[in-house]
Amino acid sequence: MQCSKCGNPKVIYKREQSGQLLCQDCFIESIEKKVIKTIKNEKLLDKGDKVLVALSGGKDSVTTLEILNSFRKMQVIDICAVTVDEGIANYRQEGVDIAKRHAERLGIEHKVVSLKEDYGITLDEIMEKENHRGSCTYCGVFRRTIINKAAREMGATKIATGHNLDDEVQAIMMNYLEGNTGNLTKLGAKTESKAEEFTVKIKPLREIPEREIGLYVVAKDLEVHFDSCPYAMQSFRGEVSEVINQLAEKHPTIKYSTLRGYDKIKNTLKKEMQKEYAHGRCKRCGEPASNELCKACFFLEELGL
Amino acid sequence: MSFLLKYKQLEEKCEIPNENYTIRDLLDEMELSPQTVVSKQNGELVIEDTVIEDGDEIQLVQIIYGG
Ligand code: SF4
Ligand SMILES: [Zn+2]
Ligand SMILES: [Zn+2]
Repeated sequence: MQCSKCGNPKVIYKREQSGQLLCQDCFIESIEKKVIKTIKNEKLLDKGDKVLVALSGGKDSVTTLEILNSFRKMQVIDICAVTVDEGIANYRQEGVDIAKRHAERLGIEHKVVSLKEDYGITLDEIMEKENHRGSCTYCGVFRRTIINKAAREMGATKIATGHNLDDEVQAIMMNYLEGNTGNLTKLGAKTESKAEEFTVKIKPLREIPEREIGLYVVAKDLEVHFDSCPYAMQSFRGEVSEVINQLAEKHPTIKYSTLRGYDKIKNTLKKEMQKEYAHGRCKRCGEPASNELCKACFFLEELGL
Repeated sequence: MSFLLKYKQLEEKCEIPNENYTIRDLLDEMELSPQTVVSKQNGELVIEDTVIEDGDEIQLVQIIYGG
């Protein structure tokens, strides 16, 4: 057995979808090349961009930072990072510490924002309240608000997130299965909102399978936080992911074909289905909102805060 | 014939049960999916079809967590 590219007998990975065998160096190079190709094909970066990386310290965000940093080294872009501390005991702190170390190692501007500081409550405390919603619902909304705010404060022109192929395919299938055509129009490598207050979001890892990102960080010896959130439990996303992975065992190209198919219908979907952007402002915090209150403030009031 | 297994907090000496015992066989026994784990043999990344040899140190790193 030998590497399909260079002949090295020390093979570390077999790509199921193509049968390709790769040694460590060729594997690392193939991931980096593929991400750079996505960035170029989808025009994710413009010269002079200041990219805010949403850095949790997990494998996806650390890989995003690592590869975007090659553009920073070539002085194409500048990078800053934000880490959201939701306040989850025995879980989040390690990721925050790892994020800090990466930011320091690369010498980039980095900011840690906690839910506690911004909203006066931790996720753990929310989950102790009566009649709370699912933990991930709060996380998603508060995290998005905090990251959008940080992007404005730090003067970022783009926000980069670590969404990988598996995340994106799950989102496509979930929204499709739930008939959520509104959300279906929002996916893609680059999501732009017509509202100026929302910074353009990019997903450089969108074509990289989750497993390959895990292997990449181990192969490159990057420090990351591998752990599961104590609130992570059976969710619809988890069920969908299981089905897709099961299908992928016999049909190894299925994730790519789902992504390609979505990309082909995306523009039509957008034209036909995209909801009008709401120009309102939240009367409580002033953030953009489609109703009187933005989602974050709506949840806060619901919790009696 | 034995090898050292490292997985999370676990560090354990294990017998090699039969000839041509691969990391994939070990993962099956531990009920771990090769999709969620990467494997190192004596500190170097290897594929799951690698045969475990006497005296090997096999480290499994879980890279994907549910949820
Ligand atoms: S799994 Fe945990 S950290 Fe992730 S969104 Fe849900 S509650 Fe938040
Ligand atoms: Zn090679
Ligand atoms: Zn608000």
